[in-house]
Amino acid sequence: MTRTSSVVTFALLLSAGAAGAASPEFVQNGRAGFVVTGIRYALGDDAAQTGACPRGMSLNVAEIYAATPEGKRRKGEPDDAYSKRVEAGGRAISAASNGRNVCANPEAAPPDPHYRSLESAKVVADGIDLDAVDSNAQQPAAGGMCPHQDFVGRNGQRGVDNQFFRVVGCNRSFQSTGQSNGFGIGMLTGSWGILITLDGVDDIRNDDDVEVGFVSNADPIQLSPTREPLAYATYAMHQDPRYRSSMRGRIKDGVLTTDPVDVRFYTEVNSLFNDRPLKRARLHMTLSETGVIEGFLAGYTPVESVYDMQFGFRNARNAAGEPGPQMLRLHTANGAARVLGYTCQGAYQSLYQHADADPDPQTGRCSSLSTQYHIKAVPAFVVDVKTQSANDKLIQASGNAK
Amino acid sequence: MQSRYVLTGALAVLLTALAGCGNGTGEPDAVGGPAVMRRLTESQYRATVADIFGPEIPVAARFERALREDGLISIGTGRAGMSPFSIEQYDGAALTVAAAVVGEEHRAKLVPCQPKSGASQFDGECAKRFVEHYGMPLFRRPLRDEEVTRFVEAARAGQDRLGDFYAGLQFALAAMMVSPEFLLRIERPQPEEKQREVVQLDAWSKATRLSYFLTNSTPDEELLRAAGAGELESGRGLQRQVDRLVASPPFEAAVRAFFQDMLQFDKFGDLAKDPLVYPAFNSTVAADAQEQTLRTITHLLIDEKGDYRDLFTTRNTFLTRALGVVYRVPVATRNGWEPTVFEPGKHRDGIQSQVAFLAVNSHPGRSSATLRGKALREVFLCQEVPDPPANVDFAVVQDPSNVAMPTARERLIAHRTEPACAGCHAITDPVGLTLENFDGLGTYRSVENGASIDASGDLDGIAFNSADGLAQALHDHPETPRCLVEKMYRFAVGRDTEMEERPYMDYLNREFKASGYRVPELMRTIALSENFSAISTVRDAEVE
Repeated sequence: MTRTSSVVTFALLLSAGAAGAASPEFVQNGRAGFVVTGIRYALGDDAAQTGACPRGMSLNVAEIYAATPEGKRRKGEPDDAYSKRVEAGGRAISAASNGRNVCANPEAAPPDPHYRSLESAKVVADGIDLDAVDSNAQQPAAGGMCPHQDFVGRNGQRGVDNQFFRVVGCNRSFQSTGQSNGFGIGMLTGSWGILITLDGVDDIRNDDDVEVGFVSNADPIQLSPTREPLAYATYAMHQDPRYRSSMRGRIKDGVLTTDPVDVRFYTEVNSLFNDRPLKRARLHMTLSETGVIEGFLAGYTPVESVYDMQFGFRNARNAAGEPGPQMLRLHTANGAARVLGYTCQGAYQSLYQHADADPDPQTGRCSSLSTQYHIKAVPAFVVDVKTQSANDKLIQASGNAK
Repeated sequence: MQSRYVLTGALAVLLTALAGCGNGTGEPDAVGGPAVMRRLTESQYRATVADIFGPEIPVAARFERALREDGLISIGTGRAGMSPFSIEQYDGAALTVAAAVVGEEHRAKLVPCQPKSGASQFDGECAKRFVEHYGMPLFRRPLRDEEVTRFVEAARAGQDRLGDFYAGLQFALAAMMVSPEFLLRIERPQPEEKQREVVQLDAWSKATRLSYFLTNSTPDEELLRAAGAGELESGRGLQRQVDRLVASPPFEAAVRAFFQDMLQFDKFGDLAKDPLVYPAFNSTVAADAQEQTLRTITHLLIDEKGDYRDLFTTRNTFLTRALGVVYRVPVATRNGWEPTVFEPGKHRDGIQSQVAFLAVNSHPGRSSATLRGKALREVFLCQEVPDPPANVDFAVVQDPSNVAMPTARERLIAHRTEPACAGCHAITDPVGLTLENFDGLGTYRSVENGASIDASGDLDGIAFNSADGLAQALHDHPETPRCLVEKMYRFAVGRDTEMEERPYMDYLNREFKASGYRVPELMRTIALSENFSAISTVRDAEVE
């Protein structure tokens, strides 16, 4: 939408008058907007509760080295010296035989026997059924899919496709007290965000045809003094068409569902920006009377993208959209693996092992992984204008314009 | 009530006829009031420094809280004393301003001469030029010879102590800026007229009164020239200067200063909101809310040359994104202001439905029909509402979570059963309860604690059932323009009106009405009137 048409939209919104009288406050002139205020991977309960990781949790490189005979503590070896030796041993494991760092080149590394995936068939997981099949790993997969074991949902629903949970379910950092599922915090610092729009809403509780927009937020989120996201703030849609998706949807008894559409958004960790593509993505969200909308964004993420955005940071960009500093990318990937308790190659190999969609016609190996996010959003005004930071002049002057 | 207005009007006509017309404009003979000595307000101080030295010169000071008297700070400035804290702050501000003026960065532009033999040698001629150059705009009159000598000597003493010519100038300038002649607007009558009962201000005092009334700052070079040339004594010369000032960009600052004072925006300095109850409130919202109302006012009154009464019904305003959250209106502009027209039927008619009025006249965690009703009557209608007695039990009204009484109306009805409270609440609540559709920050709501809000009320016999009805009632109330005239005149002269000035006030009211209630025209009429610069030596003596 151009600036002019957005102004017209405002005028229409403002002149809606009695038309919106019967609608809740967050629906104006058949349109509702939302800003995502919380996002995390939809996973299941901790392994300690479910016993889903009987062989233990994944290990990082230092732990793997420490478990080797040469990694054992020598008699009389001081703490500091032993610690340094273990770290050095771990670093050595982090390099492939050709000397290249395995986080940057996971395909070059040998299999990691210490990486643990969640193999249990009985564990409950969050999410929705993406392929309309209650898949069993022991049976041939449906067309276009690879064999995989579906989860049972919290409400007992069958067929929940969530292979990402299988990959990370036995990582310490993906347990409820871990740090890996906190990537959404960057959204609250204003470095990225997501907007959702509903257009053509006749009845917010039941409407068999609504147009759903899923768009990156070009403005920083507005927070209260206690750092809570504010409802009814105005946000501009991202102008890059890659970050704008439109879906057909419907609302039944206050539950919004959409048809599958490819979407893409981006997140930021450690000043590195990563795209998060999601193929054949669907929304399954429940609307409350106050306008809070909460539920799942689910689809299939290409394995290489999952690896990049969560583990390897190989293609991460800086704020200007250029490739991020190489050392920052390398240290972020290796540091994360070390601190969060896994190896890069282990994660990479597990991702391909559990990929459940988009098989290669030649090899049959699947290249995408079912991935589910839990998201929550509050009412917002979504406008389609080119937004401008107060610092844009400084950015232009510094030559760092996007 | 209506008959009272008619009677008042008839009396006014009679008094006007008796008083006669003094200068051919229909203005009654000037009666004046006591001369006043008014302290510069903070905004006047800052504007004055910026006008004399340039906006790049910083004023680093925390000014003492202003005193509000008879509803206006501009009257309080003539009554408040100066505390040691205040003097300390003035001293600090003067030293910083003076340091910046003579500092190397601005010296070439702001110091009119250079010491002949370098900065280590005192140059009396240059110091004198400096003192005279800034003495006139700072004191708003030419300096007397002994004053020039005193400040030149201060410069010399500074140089003797510090060994630097510019350090000496700094102390001379700082001394001028802490002088009562700078900090106070000391008004003096024409010396040759002292034997008469009503005299005019001298040219310099008249220029000062004109300038702060019409620009909220010190007289500019042209006005001081006109004062020195005696042009302000002639009707034509005065009109030329008044018309110039009313047409100048700083006139908007004067209109803003008046409405900031009238709307009691100084209360924002103490405004606090519970962040859990009103998460959208922050310092940006507080600042933007004031600016929104001021922009609404200046847009209507100056840009649109509109009717003052339309301020109570206008839906034209300006918003920022921070305010959009409170009003629940989209604001596309990320940084800055966006012209906005509130949707009809959204109950946002008039400045009394804006956040600046609603939030200030509320409590930190809840709205207040009483505070809002009181403010509506006192601020816009000049009606006085007494303070509550000291021993009132507020338990019922202070409990917004009361299940049995979910809305403010029910709580206030219970509260009013106390006879000591009933009288005042009968005045404030019928108007204040109509604004209960706005929470303590100003966001619209139709229910409170799950119960529908009854927004019916009345204003002096005019009934309505929503904030829009209240807006129209305020617009049509005969006291609305009269109150504005009253406050504007008091703002202009820095004192309450005298009983003997009733015919003059009626003259202003007639002129205001004839102009279509145009505020710039009212200010022009006041500035051109003889009464504006008249001093009653009789009442001056009474004050002394």
